[in-house]
Amino acid sequence: MIEALFEGLFLVLQWKPLAFMALGIVLGFWVGLLPGLGGATTLALMLPFVYAMQPVEAFAFLLGMHSVAATTGDITSVLFGVPGEAASAATILDGHAMAKKGEAGRALGAALTSSLVGAIVGAFALAIAIPMVRPLVLTFGSPELFMLAIVGIAFIASLSAPGPRGMLRGFLAGGLGLLCATVGQDPQAGIARYTFDILYLWQGLDLVAVLVGIFAIPEIIDLAIRRTSIAGALPAGRISKGAWEGVKDTFRHFWLTIRCSLIGTFIGIMPGMGGAVAQWMAYGHATQSARTAEERKGFGAGDVRGVLGPGAANNSKEGGSLIPTIAFGVPGSTAMAILLGGFFLLGLVPGPDMLTKHLPVTFSMVWTIVIANIVTVLACFLLLDHLAKLTTVRGTVLIPAILVLVFIGSFTSNHHYGDILVTLVFGGIGYLMVIGGWPRAPFVLGLVLGKIAENYLYISVARYEAAWLTRPVVLILFAIAVAVILYPLLQRRKPAHA
Amino acid sequence: MHSKASLALALGIMGVSGYAVIAAWAWPWKASLFPLVIGIPVFVLSTADALWVLLGRGAQATERGEIKDFQIAQDVPERVALGRTANATGWIAGFFAAIVLLGFPIAVPLFVFLYLKLEGREGWIFSAVFTAVVWVFFYGLFDRLLHLPFPQGWVASWLGF
Repeated sequence: MIEALFEGLFLVLQWKPLAFMALGIVLGFWVGLLPGLGGATTLALMLPFVYAMQPVEAFAFLLGMHSVAATTGDITSVLFGVPGEAASAATILDGHAMAKKGEAGRALGAALTSSLVGAIVGAFALAIAIPMVRPLVLTFGSPELFMLAIVGIAFIASLSAPGPRGMLRGFLAGGLGLLCATVGQDPQAGIARYTFDILYLWQGLDLVAVLVGIFAIPEIIDLAIRRTSIAGALPAGRISKGAWEGVKDTFRHFWLTIRCSLIGTFIGIMPGMGGAVAQWMAYGHATQSARTAEERKGFGAGDVRGVLGPGAANNSKEGGSLIPTIAFGVPGSTAMAILLGGFFLLGLVPGPDMLTKHLPVTFSMVWTIVIANIVTVLACFLLLDHLAKLTTVRGTVLIPAILVLVFIGSFTSNHHYGDILVTLVFGGIGYLMVIGGWPRAPFVLGLVLGKIAENYLYISVARYEAAWLTRPVVLILFAIAVAVILYPLLQRRKPAHA
Repeated sequence: MHSKASLALALGIMGVSGYAVIAAWAWPWKASLFPLVIGIPVFVLSTADALWVLLGRGAQATERGEIKDFQIAQDVPERVALGRTANATGWIAGFFAAIVLLGFPIAVPLFVFLYLKLEGREGWIFSAVFTAVVWVFFYGLFDRLLHLPFPQGWVASWLGF
């Protein structure tokens, strides 16, 4: 095994795989920065080019590109409040709030360093977990995966707004997200649900179009109201100096970063969950790490832990989602499903062969994730000064440029004007949520989880009828969901009795 | 403004979930299971939230500052903020209309230039150079490099181009 580990490293360090990895990193860097152009889409676009490559070169190219897109997606989230990737949306809540306080450098430093730690943890998990993961994945059937989705929503709904009223709104936002996910042709009976005879809606609401709207439009309106730069009237000199502080923050909250990385890896392993879920789960956990209600108030207003959690989980899930893809041929996410296509194009069959005959190739993937992330983070730190200064540019100059990116990003989802309309409608809803004091995080998690949760619920009921509710892991997860809801309420009552 | 937006959202969700439940009732169980499982509790909870506001319990609502999210500019007077919000909404809607009518390649430089000149009150040279940079980025990356299919605007179609 150790021999294969080093053989994998030597395979990656040859000039051709390194050159393809560098090309992938450059592509992934820009894809991550641009809203709407997702890592999965780019993987699909680049897949035909791997025909002529050796397996190690092809995976260095594809994985290098994909893992970097997740890292640089955080940059636009922090600087402009526009998610560069669907999986970078959670970073906005605290990352962009920090940028508004003049701490863009610190937020970027924290996001990049935690991304690197997350990527290394995910890759490490991939290296050691392959022989052990089989029983874990087999323990989780459809009922358990459905309950896991419910725990996720309970988690984020109860933590994103405190108190009974806030929690009620959290659950309503999550419920609205789940309902929005049902728009389109239903996968079981083929019924067109809530489509109002509009062909565009048959495929459902596009996640990127909704995310860009719900996060970017309120930020743009806020910038238009304030008529200042993103960092307001803060002196320009302060902004980029905090990058090193962000690096130190990662190590100051090292165990939180590690825990969130492990959450990301675990979510990555679960088929169908994906990075968009991992980051919100990690954000929920980061919020929970606050010891007092007073401390918890800082989340959403620029607490660096709200950047570290999603940053770490977002990258660690790559290693996690590769585990079922390589070991069982079950892709953990859309991007992994596309990557699975790459396996077949190259004549590799996921499964036992990848753990025996092709083990060095498998380890070369681990090394690619690690090396690509180290190179990207170093490159980003070199550019950090210039990137952070963007927050001092006048709002009236930034708004048209951001709006162009928002509209193009939204349009590129399906190349349909309907995407822009969806962005505008959800931009309006996002604006109402912000001024009304409703949390947006549960809505997004509901939307992301909706299709997966519906699928698992249907299989659970069709296969086990009501008996799925009595399965031990389901009961444990149900108890966790109840505890997650009750814990903040009980914690809130404590000071009153003290 | 805070409680009005909250009420609007609660009533909106009530309407959406009520419609979702009624529509789902007519479908086979395979298609209606999930919308009903989610729609019914959402309808009940949104009704409770709307009643909470309407019965005057808004004062006991969660403190706005406790929400884990950002707040729209607090240091600008409400009337001014409303005016600027309407103005920004107008620009966003105008940009969308321009894209549909003229297509991306014309709407992008037109919007950027007009926004910089009219809203930003920037100088002619800066506005022209910035617009050119944005257009080159848009055209070079999305059109020439990625070959994204940007359809021509409705006006060009009406004129038979």
